[in-house]
Amino acid sequence: MTRIDDRIQRVDAVEKASGEARYLCDLSFDDMLYARFVRSAVARGKIVSIDVPPLPEGYYFFTADDIPPEGKNSLVMIAGDWRCFASGDVRYVGETIGILCGRSRAVLKAIEESIKITYEEQEAAITIDDALAVKGGPILEKDDIHCSLVSEKGGDVDEILSRADRVIEETVETGFQEHVHLETNAALCTIEDGKYTFYISCQCPFYVRKSVAGLLGLRPEDIRVRQTTTGGAFGGKEHFPDVLAGPLLVAEYHLKKPVKLVFDREEDMLYSVKRHPSKVVFRTGLDSDGKILASDINVYYNCGAYLSSSYVVLQRGVFHANGVYNFPATRIHGYGMATNTFPSDAFRGFGAPQTLFAIETHLNHIARELGADPVEYKKQYFLKQGDETVTQGHIVEKVVLNEMLDQVASKSDYWRKAAEYTPGCGKGIGMSFYNHGGAFTGNGEQAIIKAHLRLVKDGDSFTILCGQTEMGQGFRTILRKIVASVLETDMDKVAYDNPDTDCVPDSGPTAASRSTMIVGRLAEQAAMQMKDHLNEEHWEVETEYEHPEGHPWDQSTFKGDAYLGYGWGCCCVEVEADRLTNEIRVTGIWSSHDIGKAIDELIVHGQVNGGIIQSLGYAAMEKMENRNGHFRQSSMSDYVIPTSMDFPRQEWGLVDNPYEWGPFGAKGMGELVFNGADAAYTDAVERAMGIKINRIPVPVEDLEGLR
Amino acid sequence: MVERCYVAASLDEALKIRKETGAHVLAGGTDLMVQFRQGTGISPVFPFPVVIISSVRELDDITAGDDGTVTIGALAVPARIAESQLVPYPVRAAAARMGAPALRNSATIGGNIGNASPKGDLPQPLIMLDARVVLTSLDGEREMLLDDFILGSKKTALRDDEIISAVRIPPVSWSYVFYRKIGTRRANAISKLSLSALMRFEDGRIADFRAASGASGPKVIRSREAENMLKGLDDAEARAELPAFLDAWNEALSPHAMPQYRRNTTRRMLEHFITSALEHPQSEIIV
Ligand SMILES: Cc1cc2nc3c(=O)[nH]c(=O)nc-3n(C[C@H](O)[C@H](O)[C@H](O)COP(=O)(O)OP(=O)(O)OC[C@H]3O[C@@H](n4cnc5c(N)ncnc54)[C@H](O)[C@@H]3O)c2cc1C
Repeated sequence: MTRIDDRIQRVDAVEKASGEARYLCDLSFDDMLYARFVRSAVARGKIVSIDVPPLPEGYYFFTADDIPPEGKNSLVMIAGDWRCFASGDVRYVGETIGILCGRSRAVLKAIEESIKITYEEQEAAITIDDALAVKGGPILEKDDIHCSLVSEKGGDVDEILSRADRVIEETVETGFQEHVHLETNAALCTIEDGKYTFYISCQCPFYVRKSVAGLLGLRPEDIRVRQTTTGGAFGGKEHFPDVLAGPLLVAEYHLKKPVKLVFDREEDMLYSVKRHPSKVVFRTGLDSDGKILASDINVYYNCGAYLSSSYVVLQRGVFHANGVYNFPATRIHGYGMATNTFPSDAFRGFGAPQTLFAIETHLNHIARELGADPVEYKKQYFLKQGDETVTQGHIVEKVVLNEMLDQVASKSDYWRKAAEYTPGCGKGIGMSFYNHGGAFTGNGEQAIIKAHLRLVKDGDSFTILCGQTEMGQGFRTILRKIVASVLETDMDKVAYDNPDTDCVPDSGPTAASRSTMIVGRLAEQAAMQMKDHLNEEHWEVETEYEHPEGHPWDQSTFKGDAYLGYGWGCCCVEVEADRLTNEIRVTGIWSSHDIGKAIDELIVHGQVNGGIIQSLGYAAMEKMENRNGHFRQSSMSDYVIPTSMDFPRQEWGLVDNPYEWGPFGAKGMGELVFNGADAAYTDAVERAMGIKINRIPVPVEDLEGLR
Repeated sequence: MVERCYVAASLDEALKIRKETGAHVLAGGTDLMVQFRQGTGISPVFPFPVVIISSVRELDDITAGDDGTVTIGALAVPARIAESQLVPYPVRAAAARMGAPALRNSATIGGNIGNASPKGDLPQPLIMLDARVVLTSLDGEREMLLDDFILGSKKTALRDDEIISAVRIPPVSWSYVFYRKIGTRRANAISKLSLSALMRFEDGRIADFRAASGASGPKVIRSREAENMLKGLDDAEARAELPAFLDAWNEALSPHAMPQYRRNTTRRMLEHFITSALEHPQSEIIV
């Protein structure tokens, strides 16, 4: 019998470690063709001509012109502005212009190289500053602002700043980040039982069918999407699979044969979505004692050429921009800037990490200027239960940040070390605090998703049917464990496979740290109802999401409780800086997280380790540059992510703070653990080297300029 | 475009194939297979015929001659070089930090030299040690300084009928030695910068001083002029000469990117090595 407190070896561990798991690239069908994208080579311009050489027999080329008249050249993500195929003009390097199909991938490559596209190039806007200056003329109708919003609480910020003792102005920036999921993006389209069917590596099978159906004038339910075993995603397979699926569907409409598209690593690096680069500008007013009176914060995200999901990313960025702190007054303006870069999209944290890094850095700098210890300074502003948030809602849950701080400070010996390591002494220690709002913003769970889950009993076995995907995070294990624990049976008796949209109800996307919290809860409830029917041979139960009471939200004004609850985190990083080379050796990592309750400690441990290392990579080494719209890093040797040699063993802890509406008290955690180690790292590096860091990543060569 | 691919069982056979077809040598293939890859599901396409020499057994020995010269066969892999007690410290240190275990058991020293990348790790300490390459053809052998063999980024003096068969490191001794590689991360990393240096004292004076900078120009940089500035000096004289030496070394560098970082860090590392050595510490390896 499986108990919720058992530590379970992940159900997919052996098949993945042994190489038995079959990924999309392993799938093969009779008569199958391969596909290859033809992409824009310039960031902005008019397409003057596309010269395609005569194609060999059995080879095909499709463009926007091949979308049938009843269809629309649009991928319906959250916004519908991302075109399936560029037509008339191109807006970023790598924009899909056409799709080649045929038997041999070598021949497809040769054809692609012989297609000549002539452009009338226009000056491109690449950076946030370019977009603010509307370089090359407006990308959108009148300017380069895709979306914007404002959140404020407390008094009139301008008025307060005008009478402040002093106002500290500062800009903090973050760069692109590439997901580097082990499995590159891949999809296959075919027709099964007369229905367009996708096999696809993705997070959200229901998103795919919604996004592409309109290309052929179909309804989402006319298309079947079957998730294949997915080797990592990190948000990079939330909407981006649609960009593969759209052209495949158009090709399928004409070909009626299985067509398979697998990106190689270089394509996946150069021509896929990234984390939004950001620029956050603070004006923070202090009184004569150094206490914060108000903060005026302007947040700019580089969204790239299309809006896609960026407005929601920006909202999350804005709602997290004051971190875990409560200032008397705060005003946050958020701007999603349109540029001619590859559209930015979801990436673990979904907009929160950028602003959380910014506020932590800003407060560390203020503290240092005042001669105070940053942790001492920051903790006086910790949010507490009942406090007003920047969206004029309230913190509903008990906040145990002080307990987490004590846990981490005592394990790391923070207070002694912080006093001992003088600026520039070669050793440094830093600590950050962060949170992450669980599930969809505001009332999205209720208004947009309305998740459903079904549980079926046949004899003594059970099957869970829902749209959540396993992508390496361990959800398949988690969900089976929840159901088995409630039913007091063995996990082996509970099946849960890769979802197929024709067989499972829509339980919403696997994103936003919502799977355990929201869908896990649906499974728990279904299992509880099932318990009364254990003597029946066959029984089915379907549960539907119910919004917990007392979470007001107005989506038109963005006022109220932006999230149903938060995960909270505290991370401490200790470093040694090499005076000769600027190489930073991380000598200790300690963390504490409030995730309500761990459904499985082993999986949570994996998430904590991975999230923190990914965040340290973001701060320390993951540099993705863009010149004239072209990403400059195209392989895993020039875009480096950390290896296990780079960071030491972590000490981690959890605090017990069960969440009322989560299964067994659990809330979201997959993104939370990414949200803070970066700021702890740069804080430690600043102290060790006696420098000030306002921009990540900071590889050795960039530290040189700060010395 | 489909060119031929041969597999040679002996050096002789490889030399014949190379002479007759102009085939390029493929040893570990860790550069060539990456350079000419075509993407998922497509075989690499080489614009020239290729002769695979990885099963030529006679080329992977590491031996020491009576006079102390160490000969490393062209097919020796970094894992073995790193372990060999015969090989001088800076070369072992460089081999130990190449790639990750899989790479260290498949890449070869001959390939690292043949590829002549400014970021290649082995040429840098080898050039400091005045290593020579042994070039074999059907006409026999010739030897030349590795520093002369590598002409620039990705350019060597290899003739169309030759194969690198070995590297020879002449006997060397030092009082103090230094090796550093600054990679993009701690493991499986390409060099952003590297440096070797050694110093030998005799009767209180610097009898030998050498250094070599990797990833700081189109090829490994040695400045014998700068090195000579320190030779023959006692500790006090060397300290006085240090700033002028550091300037001279800096003059010799020509980094393509990250110039400020590469120049400043090289300067700090050399200054650190030299001032540490002038303190005459116990340990011969300066870190
Ligand atoms: C993941 C990865 C990590 C890497 N990390 C490092 C690193 O840390 N440091 C580093 O320096 N390099 C690194 N490299 C680059 C590469 O592994 C080395 O340059 C290696 O030494 C090449 O050896 P090889 O035998 O595989 O060369 P090959 O690819 O077989 O050949 C390389 C070149 O040398 C020529 N050549 C090979 N052998 C001979 C010979 N006997 N005579 C004449 N010409 C010859 C070939 O014709 C070709 O031009 C890495 C490569 C990869 C893929």
